[in-house]
Amino acid sequence: MAEVTCPECGAANSGHGRTCRMCGTPLTAAAAARPRMQRKVLRRTDFLAAARANQRATNVLVVTLLAIGAVLGYLIGWNLQLHLDDAAALPAGIWFVSGWGVVGAVGLVGFGGVWSTVTFSFGDRIVLGIVGARAVTREEAPQLHNVVEEMAIAAGLTKPAIYVVETPALNAFATGLRRNRAAVAVTRGLLDTLNRDELQGVIGHEMGHIVNLDMRYATAVGVMVGLVALVADLALRSLYYSGGGRRRGGRGGGAGGAVALIILVVFAVLAPIFAKLVQMAVSRQREFLADATSVRLTRNPQGLIAALQKLGESAQPFKGANRATQHMFIVNPFRNFTDRSSRLLATHPPIERRIQRLMNLGA
Amino acid sequence: MGIGGIVVLIIALVFAGAVIALYNRLVQLRNQVRNAWRQIDVQLKRRHDLIPNLVETVKDYMSYEQETLQQVVQARSRAVQTEGQGPEAAMEAEQALSGALGRMLMVMENYPDLKANQNVAQLMEELASTENRIAFARQFYNDSVMAKNNAVESFPSNMIAGMFGFKHAAYFEIETQERAVPKVDLR
Repeated sequence: MAEVTCPECGAANSGHGRTCRMCGTPLTAAAAARPRMQRKVLRRTDFLAAARANQRATNVLVVTLLAIGAVLGYLIGWNLQLHLDDAAALPAGIWFVSGWGVVGAVGLVGFGGVWSTVTFSFGDRIVLGIVGARAVTREEAPQLHNVVEEMAIAAGLTKPAIYVVETPALNAFATGLRRNRAAVAVTRGLLDTLNRDELQGVIGHEMGHIVNLDMRYATAVGVMVGLVALVADLALRSLYYSGGGRRRGGRGGGAGGAVALIILVVFAVLAPIFAKLVQMAVSRQREFLADATSVRLTRNPQGLIAALQKLGESAQPFKGANRATQHMFIVNPFRNFTDRSSRLLATHPPIERRIQRLMNLGA
Repeated sequence: MGIGGIVVLIIALVFAGAVIALYNRLVQLRNQVRNAWRQIDVQLKRRHDLIPNLVETVKDYMSYEQETLQQVVQARSRAVQTEGQGPEAAMEAEQALSGALGRMLMVMENYPDLKANQNVAQLMEELASTENRIAFARQFYNDSVMAKNNAVESFPSNMIAGMFGFKHAAYFEIETQERAVPKVDLR
């Protein structure tokens, strides 16, 4: 099929798709005739509404994650009670509200909360060392300092510390668990490639991560996911090693106990996978949110759009990044940006989707 | 005290806690609006401090443009006089200064060796940044006003706002004159 130029944004399309790959404008009569589906994707919105929608999505995901943890805790407590508690004191059957289960649920979620809070109080700049970032003075990079300061003014925050990573790769990240003690880092390649407006869009995105406290989200969600994985693993291992041996007093040997055990095993196998999926979905929502915040600060979606296009086209690898820090960058340092096969496990939404959403912000 | 008494006490405590939280939120928003207002002044002052440097650097290159430079210097001194009176009082003088600076930047486009000068390039960057800072400071002020007004108007914080006299804040509005594209006489 012939190449089609989008009438809305001018992007070149292969002609296979029904809608423009950049902005979603219908390209064929058939696609234009389906207005309802289009409206769902293309609804014009403003950055405040976009930010609210992303925050709502994050809240749903965080509640889902907490629910996964709570259910896991409950199932473990419930099984323990069936096996270890005095049988005579328990109601008949296995379907009762387990007191031990409630303790397990509250305990697991509560422990996750305490652990997250403890983590908040230190270790917020470790990543700077890992990727080899170096603090730059105003004399070395006056424009970068200016742009960061402008964005700090627009966000009403203290100016964050500024770092540069000496690599030709195009990327940037922000870190900091407190809004007024944060840091932003950009790569040398980014500084050399982007113009002022594009740099401002990128710094606005990073400032968005700081304003929205995304390091805390990432830390807390990471702690919870790790905890779910750890506890599920412990539960499975202890079951494996106890080998189904009979317990004193309890009803563990009964058919009901076996059913409860199977439910626990199935959930313990699935919970870490679901928790991981939720974590990645949170990460993607926070990226969309930071994009919307960038536009709130710069009031200029074109800068970030142009920057994302350049970042997407760049093929320079970023050697300093690793799996533990990948979610913090403006674009994923490893992934082929257009890859759609593993979307559920991606830390970042595909760049075309982000550009598409930015274009919907009344650009 | 019976169970009923404890329940009433807990409800009263929760209610008091909510009132305190809403009140503190309003105070925080009010202070943010005030601080944002002063921040505009800070950025205007920064622009005033920058201009003598800029004029000093470019005047040797632009000997034929004395009038343009003179306008900038005059507009600056008028703007300096309004320092400390708040952004609204300073608005007219600052707009005149913006206009004079815009004309100077446009004239500077005609001097290629001027743009090639490292010092000038740096000063131009500083000037561009200062203009941005002023715009962003105003934008943040208006964002803060919106946040405060939302809190003053929406339930339940509007009840607390009414009780303790939190009022609407006024948006900073730029007269259409500045927003319009400046006309350039090309002859």
